[in-house]
Amino acid sequence: MNPIPIGRLLRANTTGCALGCKVTQGSTPSFGDMVIIPLTNQNKIYGLVYDIHIDDDGLVNQLAAADISREIIEDNRRNRNVPVEMSVAFIGWEDPQGRVHHTRVPYPPLTLDEIFQCDDEEVRKFTQNGSFGYLRAVLRNPELPVVDLVTAHLRQILAARSGIDAGQALEASLVEVIAMLKDDYPQMMDVLSAVSEIL
Amino acid sequence: MTLNDKKPILQADDPQNTPIGYVIGGGLKANLFVRLTRPAHEVQEGGFVVLESGNWQFYGLVTDLQLGAVDPRYAEIQNRERLSAQVSQLLASQTLYTNLEVLPALMLERGPEPGTEEYEKWRAALTEEPRPLPIKTVPTHHAVARLASAGDVAEIFGVPGEGANFEIGRTREQDHPVCIDLEKFVQRSSGIFGATGSGKSFLTRIILAGLIKHNTASVLVFDMHNEYGFDDTASDTGMPVVGLRTKFPGRVIVAGLGRGAHIRQHNPDFHLEFNESDIQPEDIEMLTRELNLRETTPTTLEALVQTFGPERWFHEFKHMVNGAVIENDEGKKVPAPESVAYWANQAGVNPMAAEGLHSKMSRVFNLPYIVEDDPNQKISVNSLRHIIEALKSGKHVVLSFGDYERDLDYLLVSNLLTRKIREAWEEMTNQYRGKDGAEPRPLVIAVEEAHKLLNREMASQTSFSTIAREMRKYYVTLLIIDQRPSQIYDEVMSQLGTRVSGWLGDENDIAAVLSGLAGRDALRGMLARLQPKEEVLLLGWGVPMPILVKSRRYDQAFWDSLLGKESRRDAAQSLKELGF
Repeated sequence: MNPIPIGRLLRANTTGCALGCKVTQGSTPSFGDMVIIPLTNQNKIYGLVYDIHIDDDGLVNQLAAADISREIIEDNRRNRNVPVEMSVAFIGWEDPQGRVHHTRVPYPPLTLDEIFQCDDEEVRKFTQNGSFGYLRAVLRNPELPVVDLVTAHLRQILAARSGIDAGQALEASLVEVIAMLKDDYPQMMDVLSAVSEIL
Repeated sequence: MTLNDKKPILQADDPQNTPIGYVIGGGLKANLFVRLTRPAHEVQEGGFVVLESGNWQFYGLVTDLQLGAVDPRYAEIQNRERLSAQVSQLLASQTLYTNLEVLPALMLERGPEPGTEEYEKWRAALTEEPRPLPIKTVPTHHAVARLASAGDVAEIFGVPGEGANFEIGRTREQDHPVCIDLEKFVQRSSGIFGATGSGKSFLTRIILAGLIKHNTASVLVFDMHNEYGFDDTASDTGMPVVGLRTKFPGRVIVAGLGRGAHIRQHNPDFHLEFNESDIQPEDIEMLTRELNLRETTPTTLEALVQTFGPERWFHEFKHMVNGAVIENDEGKKVPAPESVAYWANQAGVNPMAAEGLHSKMSRVFNLPYIVEDDPNQKISVNSLRHIIEALKSGKHVVLSFGDYERDLDYLLVSNLLTRKIREAWEEMTNQYRGKDGAEPRPLVIAVEEAHKLLNREMASQTSFSTIAREMRKYYVTLLIIDQRPSQIYDEVMSQLGTRVSGWLGDENDIAAVLSGLAGRDALRGMLARLQPKEEVLLLGWGVPMPILVKSRRYDQAFWDSLLGKESRRDAAQSLKELGF
C-alpha cells in the first residue's frame, strides 16, 4: 500500500464510494486503478476508480475569464473549495485474517476514511485469490463505463505481474469476462476489442 | 492461472483415459448429446465412446457431430481482424462448440471405486458378475465422455483369440481390436453388404478364413466368380490374392462345375455334375423369370411327374421331340408318339403349353453338367454326395462355377445343391433329436449375389429363403453377400443376425441393411460415409452393439496372425505331409 493517502471519503454505500482529494496529477490514481480503504475493524475494501471529475465553483468561474498569473492558477488548483472527486466501485474486501473475498463488502467505509492507491503487491494479492469473479460487480453494473474500466484494470494487472504469470492471469480474467458476457454480444465485442488494443 | 489449472472440469476415472466431453442432454428415444471439449477433428462419426456416470458405464456410438454457438453471431462473424489472436481464440473456445450425438447401446455396472468399503459391500451383494446390458436408463448431466479404451472394447466385444472370438477389425481412433463371436455368428444367418468395389470379397475371405480356422462350422461357398478357392488377382490393384485352398490344404476342397472344368488354370479337386434324376419340378419353377415360363408351367410339370415319376420325368421330357408329326391312316398329320404334343394329349395337358415349356427348357436340357443317370458313371453319381459327405465330416467346400457364369447356372446349381443339403441336414437333425445320431455339424452356406436367389419373387421358391427363415434349427445358416440388399426379401433380411456392411450409396440399400434395428435413423448417414475398402459397420443381433471398424487387411500379416508360422509353409509341402 502506498503510504500516502490519495484522499478522504465523502460518501459511500456497499457498492461504492466517492472520495475527495487534492489535485496533483502525478500522485492521484488514474482511471481504472485499484485503491484500498483500510477500515477501523481491520477489514480492507478494494475498489476501482471509475470516474474522476473536477467540479467548478463560483471563484473558478470568475477566474476562468480573467487574466491571471501562474501563481493564482496553481493556488486555486491546490487549494480548492470543492475537492477533486473520484468515484470508486467496490470489487471486494479483505478480512483481518488476510483472506480476500470477491463479494460485496459487509459495510461501507466511514466518512473521511483515508483511501490509498494499491501497489503491485496488493494488486497481485487481490487478483490471485482464485478467480476473477469480482468482475461481475463491474460487468453487471449499468452505471459503470464497463469497456474502459475492464481494459484499464487488466492493463494494471499485466503491469503488476510479469511473464507467464501475467499471461495466465490475463487468460483467466478474459475467460471470466467471456463467460459473463457471452449472452451480450455487443458488450462482449466492445470489451474484447478494447482489451485487444492493450495486448 | 488458467481455468484448466484452477479446476479440472473433466476427469475420467482412469487417468490414462482422456475425457473428450460431457453429457448435456438427450434421452433413450432421441440420442444422447455430449459437449465436446476437444477439437472436433479428434472425434469422428462412428467413434466408440464411453460415458461414466456414477457406478455405471454407458457405451455408445457417435452418430453425428453438430457445430453450435452461444450466439449465432459468434459463428457467423470472424473476429480475427478486430481482436488479437489470443483473445479471438479464447472467445472461440468459450462461445463456439461441437456437440456429439451418441447412440447409446449398452450399460454396465462397475460399482464404486475399487478398494473402498462401498466397493466391498457392492461386491458382496452381487449375485452374478456384472455384464453389459441393453441400455435401460441414461447417464446424468455432465457425465464424463471418453473414447473407449482397449479394456472397454475387450469387455464388450471380447478378447481376440479367447474362445471363438475372431478379430474382424480395429476401432478407428485408437486401433483396439474388435471381435465377433464365431459361435454366435453361425447360429443365425448373416450378411455382408456393400456397394461394388467396397471390399466385400476381401471381407468375406477374412470371415471364411476365420470360420475355417476356428472350425466352428463347415462352410460351403457358392463361388460364382471363382474368387475364393484358388489364388486370384485383385481386379483393382492387380496384386495377388491368396485362395482359401492354398492356406487350408486338405481342409478346403474346390469343386468345379462340370466335367473338365478348370478354375484359374487349376484343376479342381473334383468335378460336380448332377443326374437328371436330381432335377425336380421346383428347380424349374424357380427359373420362371430366367426362362420366361408361363403360369401353366406348374401344371405341366406336375403332369410329367405323374406320368414318368420324380426320377424319370426330366429325362423323358428332354428326349421328347417338339413338333414331331406323322401321318395317320387317314393321311392327316397327327403328333408323333415321341412328340411333346402326343404326351400332352395323353396326359390331359395343353399341348401348346407343354411345347412351349419344352422349348424354353432347352437351355436346361443342354447344360453339360446335367448328365444321364448311369450307374457305371461314378463321377456324376458321387459328386453331389461327395460334397455332402465332405461337409458332414468337417471339410469345407468351395464350389467354383468356372466358365458357367450365367444367372441360369447360378440359380439352378445353387438351389439344387442347397435343397439336397437341406434334406440331408434335416434328416441328421431328426435322427439326433430322436436320440439316434450324433449332433449335426453346423453348416454355413455362403451365397454371393444373394439378391438373385432371395428377392421377393424368388424367395418363396428357393431353398435359401427356407434356410434363412427356419434352418438354424437344423444347423444350417446362410452367409449372404450382396451389393443390393434392398432387393432381398425383407422377411429374409429380418432373420439375419450379424450384418457387416461396407459403403452403400443407395438409400434403399441402406434402409434394407438397417431394417429392424434400433437406432437405424442415426446409423443411416454413417453407411453412406464409410470409407470404401477400409471401414465397415458391424450391427445386428450377432454383435453386442453397432460399431464402426477399420476392417482387417487380407494380407500376409493376417495369415501370420491367424495361422502363425504355418501360414508361410508351402502349400505343396502341407499337402505332402497330409499324404496327398
